[in-house]
Amino acid sequence: MEKTQTMSFLKEVSQVPGGEGVNLCIQCGTCTASCPSAKIWEYTPSEVIAMVRADMRDAVLSSSSMWCCLSCYSCTVRCPRDVEPTSLFHALESLAIKHGYKPKNTTTPVMYNSFVKSIKKNGRVSEFQMMMGYYLSTNPFSALGMMSVAWKLLSHGRMPLSARKIKGKKDLDKIVKKLNEVRGAQ
Amino acid sequence: MDEVRIGVYICDCGTNIAATVDTKKVTEFAQGLDSVVVARNYKYMCSDPGQNLIKDDIKEKKLNRVVVAACSPRMHEPTFRRAVQDAGINKYYFQMANIREQCSWVHENKEMATEKAKALVEAAVRRVAYHESLQTREVPVNPNVLVVGGGIAGIQAALEIADGGKKVYLVEKDPSIGGHMAMFDKTFPTLDCAACILTPKMTTVGQHPNIDLLSYSEVEEVSGFVGNFKAKIKRKARYVDETKCTGCGECTKVCPVHVDNEFDMGLSQRSAAYIQSAYAVPNKAVIDKKGVSPCRVACPAGVNAHAYIALISQGKFKEALEVVRKSIPLAGVVGRVCYHPCETECERATVDEGLMIRDLKRFVADYEMKIGREKAGPVEITKDDRVAVIGSGPAGLACAFDLIKNGYRVTVFEKAEKAGGLMRYGIPNFKLPENIVDNEIECIQEMGVEIKTGSEINDIPDLFNKGYKAVFLATGAGKNKELGIPGEENDNVFPALDFLKKINSGEKIAVGNKVVIIGGGNIAVEAARVAWRLGANDVTIVYKKSEAEIPASDSEVEEAEQEGIKFKYDTTADEIVVRDGKVTGVKCVSEAKGQKSDQFVIDADNVINAVGQAVEKTELSKELAFTDLGYLEVDPVTLETNVSGVFAGGEVVAGQLDVIASVAAGKAGAESIDRYLSGNDMREGRFEQMPRVTKVNKDKVKTKTRVVMSKLETSKRNDNFDEVELGFDESLAIEEAKRCLNCAVCSECMLCVKACEAEAIVHDVKEQTLEVEVGSIIVATGMKQFDPEVMYTYGYNRFDDVLTGLEFERLSNASGPTDGVVVKKNGEKPKSVAILHCVGSRDENYHKYCSRVCCMYSLKYAHLLKEKLPEADVYQLYIDMRCAGSGYEEFYLRLQEEGVNFIRGRGAEITNTAETPEEKDKLIVHCEDTLIRKKRRLPVDMVILSCALEPSDGAEQIGRVLSISKKADGFFLEKHPKLDPVSTMTDGIFIAGCCQGPKDIPDTVAQASAAAARALAMISNNKVEIDGATSEIIEELCSGCRICNNLCPYSAITFNETKKVSEINPVLCKGCGVCVSACPSDAITGNHFTNKQIMAEIEGVLA
Repeated sequence: MEKTQTMSFLKEVSQVPGGEGVNLCIQCGTCTASCPSAKIWEYTPSEVIAMVRADMRDAVLSSSSMWCCLSCYSCTVRCPRDVEPTSLFHALESLAIKHGYKPKNTTTPVMYNSFVKSIKKNGRVSEFQMMMGYYLSTNPFSALGMMSVAWKLLSHGRMPLSARKIKGKKDLDKIVKKLNEVRGAQ
Repeated sequence: MDEVRIGVYICDCGTNIAATVDTKKVTEFAQGLDSVVVARNYKYMCSDPGQNLIKDDIKEKKLNRVVVAACSPRMHEPTFRRAVQDAGINKYYFQMANIREQCSWVHENKEMATEKAKALVEAAVRRVAYHESLQTREVPVNPNVLVVGGGIAGIQAALEIADGGKKVYLVEKDPSIGGHMAMFDKTFPTLDCAACILTPKMTTVGQHPNIDLLSYSEVEEVSGFVGNFKAKIKRKARYVDETKCTGCGECTKVCPVHVDNEFDMGLSQRSAAYIQSAYAVPNKAVIDKKGVSPCRVACPAGVNAHAYIALISQGKFKEALEVVRKSIPLAGVVGRVCYHPCETECERATVDEGLMIRDLKRFVADYEMKIGREKAGPVEITKDDRVAVIGSGPAGLACAFDLIKNGYRVTVFEKAEKAGGLMRYGIPNFKLPENIVDNEIECIQEMGVEIKTGSEINDIPDLFNKGYKAVFLATGAGKNKELGIPGEENDNVFPALDFLKKINSGEKIAVGNKVVIIGGGNIAVEAARVAWRLGANDVTIVYKKSEAEIPASDSEVEEAEQEGIKFKYDTTADEIVVRDGKVTGVKCVSEAKGQKSDQFVIDADNVINAVGQAVEKTELSKELAFTDLGYLEVDPVTLETNVSGVFAGGEVVAGQLDVIASVAAGKAGAESIDRYLSGNDMREGRFEQMPRVTKVNKDKVKTKTRVVMSKLETSKRNDNFDEVELGFDESLAIEEAKRCLNCAVCSECMLCVKACEAEAIVHDVKEQTLEVEVGSIIVATGMKQFDPEVMYTYGYNRFDDVLTGLEFERLSNASGPTDGVVVKKNGEKPKSVAILHCVGSRDENYHKYCSRVCCMYSLKYAHLLKEKLPEADVYQLYIDMRCAGSGYEEFYLRLQEEGVNFIRGRGAEITNTAETPEEKDKLIVHCEDTLIRKKRRLPVDMVILSCALEPSDGAEQIGRVLSISKKADGFFLEKHPKLDPVSTMTDGIFIAGCCQGPKDIPDTVAQASAAAARALAMISNNKVEIDGATSEIIEELCSGCRICNNLCPYSAITFNETKKVSEINPVLCKGCGVCVSACPSDAITGNHFTNKQIMAEIEGVLA
């Protein structure tokens, strides 16, 4: 942690998998113009890239911007410089978590966590567990609004209450462990 | 050999080398090497003092070899070779070690770089010891210059050279020179009219005594070497004699074919005979002919369908009929009953539906009958010989028609009461009314053909005795085949041919309520439809094979089904059931998919036998030979029978035939008779296939299905013989004809030939090859515009008003499709326009490079828009404005003053889905205004895509022909990007303009002049030096295997037949070494690259 903070933010981002393209950007704005959720970004996608290059570490990592990315990949397809903004924003998300930033106004990290937890536990996603985890950590009452959908899913057998585990869960544990070692994540 | 005395000189190249390589240490090291007399280190060896160091040492220290360790030999080898030579030793006693590009510039570690430099120096020292004295040769330079490409670059280069008094061959692939510049409206930043500044140059080129302008031509092959090239130039067939054409344009006015005009980027149409533009040089017409249209190739009788369709599309109905009558006399008949193989082949069928070619032919025939036919004048009889045609069916009439047109006196003998054969007596009136047949036979008679009806001829020798010189037999197959089943002889069983003949002759035949027809040809279906009209309510066709195999035409079957006629497929009639002398039914067995049914009976009051036709042998002359099948025996190509002078064709030879096939047979007969009577070869040239057009451009065709021909309602058909298909009216015919894709472009309707007073049009010329000898070649093949259709998000070709730059250029041009009025596709003036920069440029997905001119031409468009539509909002969506050039930034400022909206952000997408009332019916450009960090939607009426520049289509081919390389971006590779941007790696071949990279007009002109200067310099030098480093064959070792002969890329090796060894022409040899490595007997040495030299060099590197 100490070591990375002495490095410029731009350099750090450019060394994270997915962040390599940050130097290639020519600020044409194609990513923003192509982004279906750009309206709700705190800073526009191209602005986030400009801020990384301006070394605005705190502002970027504490913003909710990249958490608004829906992974539609429109920007990646259209980017004239092969910056791959989608991967870049996901790289920024993982940097934010790694450095302990709590992004404002978004529950996306909670959803991610709940998703990962479910995978770590079962080796696959259990929709019920994942959503329960998400609502318990955010606003349990908002789950009430989803009751009718949940009921439909349950009644059609689309959302089993008990989670099924995959075969070879131990092997997956090893993979996850190794991954954590490599990426230095907790 | 004298003692080897080597001087080694290590260059610092300022800090270029010295910063990374310890040159002092390298010098010390070199001093210690074998044979090295002196080693020195100097800051700039290439400078005069540096070179003097070498010269002085050569004199004072008696050096006979020199090594310089410095930059790349491509940079300074010639410099040092000259220095060495000046000091009195052969220039090949010099070797250069590259310690800059290959050492200091690519390494960071000084110690290791120094070691590497030492190794490179030692390699050079060891190598130079084995160098030999070589002689360079000089060859004369041919003073003529070939310029490839007639855009502004080619024009400029050609004029410079021609004005210098030298001969220029200017080759241009289009019919006119001018290139892209001729298409532009204004030029930035001065806003000169492009045509105004270009046309004077174009005209000068056209008139210059030193310029041989080869327009509509392409360079096909180039051989030879610097100073002495030979070029083969393909002169595409123009079909217009350039020496006679006056450029009056009459041919373009009469031409009925209209295709997209490339010069207007497809925004307007041009005719097949056209002049490229109002200011074309040469101002000569050209006829665009891409082969023969498929419909024309498919027609057995060779009717030029494309031509009559094109003429119909222009309302020239009379001329269209003339085209049909050029080939066949029976437009109205064939236009009704042909099985139309042309429609099957029609290219339009691959888009939506083929054209109704047959019905269009019928239309022109009907049209003539409607307005009244002019009497066909008698044809002039030019031949003495008389010809007899026996039979007046389609084959006989077609034969007579062709013969009389050829000037023969023709008599047609017909045994029936009226002429026409099965056309009259076989095809019912509801398909082919009798007056149509009458009209066409009348027409043939008016031409001078004598038709003798009621005269049966079965004695051919008698005809010859009466003075006829040749006979064409077209008596048909008029006998009904027998069923061969019990009950056939009953009176209520009719042979189909008799049945139809009686009906067509006006006889009344009573049929019962139930009729069964046996057979599946058109005659069977026709008989069924006649029976239905006579009052039979229950008509069944019994056919022995499946639905797919029925020989009757699809439309015929469909009509019959609509009239309520039933079809029993896979059914065989076994017996006609007769009770009390009356037919009561047909006993049948059906067999579908191998399953045989029990016998069953179809009730019937009458049975019609339509199982086929045969030839009545007794009607024919007894000398004639027959085949086993009972038809006349003829030569399949010439139609000659066993009796000399007697030819036969049509059904009498082939059995049942379609009308058009019979017509084709008649035409073939006429051709044979003409050859026979003129004493020409009977076969020569008769197998030639017409060259069908191979590629038809269908990219921009909008689908439009066939025009529907109205028909008599089914309910109104059953008590009369009125024609069912009612034909087209004029407007429908034109509408249908306009669907034609004009596959071959020129339809050869020949109207232009009539219109040309100068008699300049020649339709039957072929392309020619011209060979020229030149000393140098300037390539100026230019660029083409990137096609933005691949960028789906911009909606080009999906939305009407998304234009490319060149399209706007034409739209804005006073000589363009709208005379310079900027309008949308719907004719309205746009109120707002967005111009998108960098379309296809600066884009990893398309072209990485910046196209250099787009910022400036986009500004120009904005200005033109503001000038023409002052109220319009104009948006420029840019990433970076690149306005470097004289007056360019000032132009940018001027546009800002004019109130153009500049938005810093790339247009990402164009849509047409409105979210607000203001966006209704607009194109919406999506972008981020990056300076305010806001996503914006710009509703506009028109979008202009400022597209990238790409190498032109012809560049690939010319690059191959000239063996010049391309860069990764596809543009031609220059010898040096900074110091020699007009030369290529091949001596004597220069490049100019956009073929080297995107550039604007001023840069292009400058580069063209530079290339011309280089060519002129070579000419005024009068000679070029040929490197001494060539390959040599040691005669004693050569086995004469000739492997090297074909491998040599410069064609420098030939085989000496007397000595039986290969020989290298040192003038042609480039010393590439291909032959050296290929020679199996080691008989070839590459001078200056001998085995000894190379081994020594390798040992030096490794030492």
